[in-house]
Amino acid sequence: MRIELENVRHVYAPGTPFEVEALRGVSLAIEPEEVLGIVGGTGSGKSTLVQHLNLLLVPTSGRVLVDGADVRTIRGRELRGRVGLVFQFPEAALFAPTVEEDVAFAPRRLGLSEGEVHRRVGETLGLLGASHLAGRSPFALSGGEKRRVAIAGVLAMAPEVLVLDEPTAGLDPATREDLLGVVRALREEGTSVVMVSHDLDEVAEVADRVCVLENGEVRAVGAPEEVFYAHPTTAPSTVRVVRPLRGPHPEVGRPVRFEETLAALKGLLEGRV
Amino acid sequence: MTAGRTLGQFYPVASLLHGLDPRAKILGTAALAVGLFLVDSAAGFLLISAVVVLLVAASRIPPGTFVGFLRPVAFIVALTALFQVFFSREGELLLEWGFVQVHEGGLVRGLFLASRILLLVSTAALLTATTAPVALADGIEDLLSPLKKARFPAHELAMMITIALRFIPTLHEEAQKITRAQAARGADFSEGGPIRRARALLPVLVPLTIGAFRRADELAEAMESRGYRGDEGRTRYRELRFRTRDALVLCAAALVVFAGILL
Ligand SMILES: Nc1ncnc2c1ncn2[C@@H]1O[C@H](COP(=O)(O)OP(=O)(O)OP(=O)(O)O)[C@@H](O)[C@H]1O
Ligand SMILES: [Mg+2]
Repeated sequence: MRIELENVRHVYAPGTPFEVEALRGVSLAIEPEEVLGIVGGTGSGKSTLVQHLNLLLVPTSGRVLVDGADVRTIRGRELRGRVGLVFQFPEAALFAPTVEEDVAFAPRRLGLSEGEVHRRVGETLGLLGASHLAGRSPFALSGGEKRRVAIAGVLAMAPEVLVLDEPTAGLDPATREDLLGVVRALREEGTSVVMVSHDLDEVAEVADRVCVLENGEVRAVGAPEEVFYAHPTTAPSTVRVVRPLRGPHPEVGRPVRFEETLAALKGLLEGRV
Repeated sequence: MTAGRTLGQFYPVASLLHGLDPRAKILGTAALAVGLFLVDSAAGFLLISAVVVLLVAASRIPPGTFVGFLRPVAFIVALTALFQVFFSREGELLLEWGFVQVHEGGLVRGLFLASRILLLVSTAALLTATTAPVALADGIEDLLSPLKKARFPAHELAMMITIALRFIPTLHEEAQKITRAQAARGADFSEGGPIRRARALLPVLVPLTIGAFRRADELAEAMESRGYRGDEGRTRYRELRFRTRDALVLCAAALVVFAGILL
């Protein structure tokens, strides 16, 4: 599934003193089977942007196309099963008495059989490393456990595109690493993932493409090495280390991920010794 | 922020009314409200309506927005007015259609009643739209403070009002967030009969309630850790100041009410 935004503008509370133009003409595509990282400062419009991907928000002007068709011709309910959106702090929406029932909510709403719902709940909880929590109350879990369960609650719909709005905010390093593993695993299975994040290092680790939002506009979009090496102010620590070395040592290349960077730096050191 | 369009919301612009002392506005609104119950003539209603229209103009709130404030009560006003028109059998018979009869007295009463409610709601909306919630609560506390001698908890009441008002937008925003999160999981709040729709609200109400309790706890802790111990020895950051123009406005309100009653 390919989602394309065409010159999307979004104005909150138009015609009142609270009017905010959150998106000012954004054009961007989410390609099938890619991990797209969206970065940008607070208030740059990231959350507003991702809510357009499953019709929770409708553009004030401009269009959103799904596989070439205008989303206005698609029913919101149907689209929401295909584009799974996990909000910022999704644990605020946990409500059922047990984890199992909470995760079953979304697939049940898709009208699947009880057997299939059960299978999906087991599978997603397993993927997120939360199988052992199935019978517990979601309100008695730790922050990281709640986050895993809340993400499972969306992933259980088996969406073609998974959108994560700051999924790792406030998590411990181990849970964070696990979640990045889930993102990689989903991509291997052919699910596209859109990941909004303030943590450039983690975006660098998983993204196939990066989009930088600034003030409701796309400032840059493209392959991580292109974007990060061209915009040092929004670059992960790996790029900030390597970039100054590129002057005297252009052969170090443009590594972005940690492993690549380590290999490049090792190569550089060994070449000189 | 959609809450900006509902009854009882502060509309932050700079105007003469916004700048008045909240106590003057509360008393003025109360005077107009009392007046509206006593006024009994078309001339009196016209006078008060004219004053309300002038006040809305002075408040710099766009007329369309202000009419929007009244929308929530439109249905009740229409219903009560129609009730009067159709069920009152006073005065000359104006219209007869089957068992439906419209009498002159009923028509007049319906009109008066509708104007009375609309004007009442308008003055209340003007008060809340031109006065920041915190200022409103400060005003209420100050006006009720003589009752403190009789152990009336004026400060506690005002604090409760302030907190409640302060958290309406927060809870509203929270409710919207949760609603959207559940919609993303396929929840549908518009389908089925009333029971199904009420059930569909459960995934929103449960987390909202839990969140509200958590917030209350956090607020209580934050207040205590900053040394809040109730009314005694508490000073104010915003001092209320009753100026000449506040007194003038209050006198003018009283005059209008007297004139309206006498007319
Ligand atoms: N429901 C709303 N009503 C009015 N304005 C809003 C609303 N939601 C967001 N905004 C405004 O729109 C702009 C973009 O907000 P958005 O939440 O999309 O930013 P963000 O990039 O996700 O920020 P963050 O990194 O803090 O999550 C901000 O100026 C914000 O104040
Ligand atoms: Mg956001």
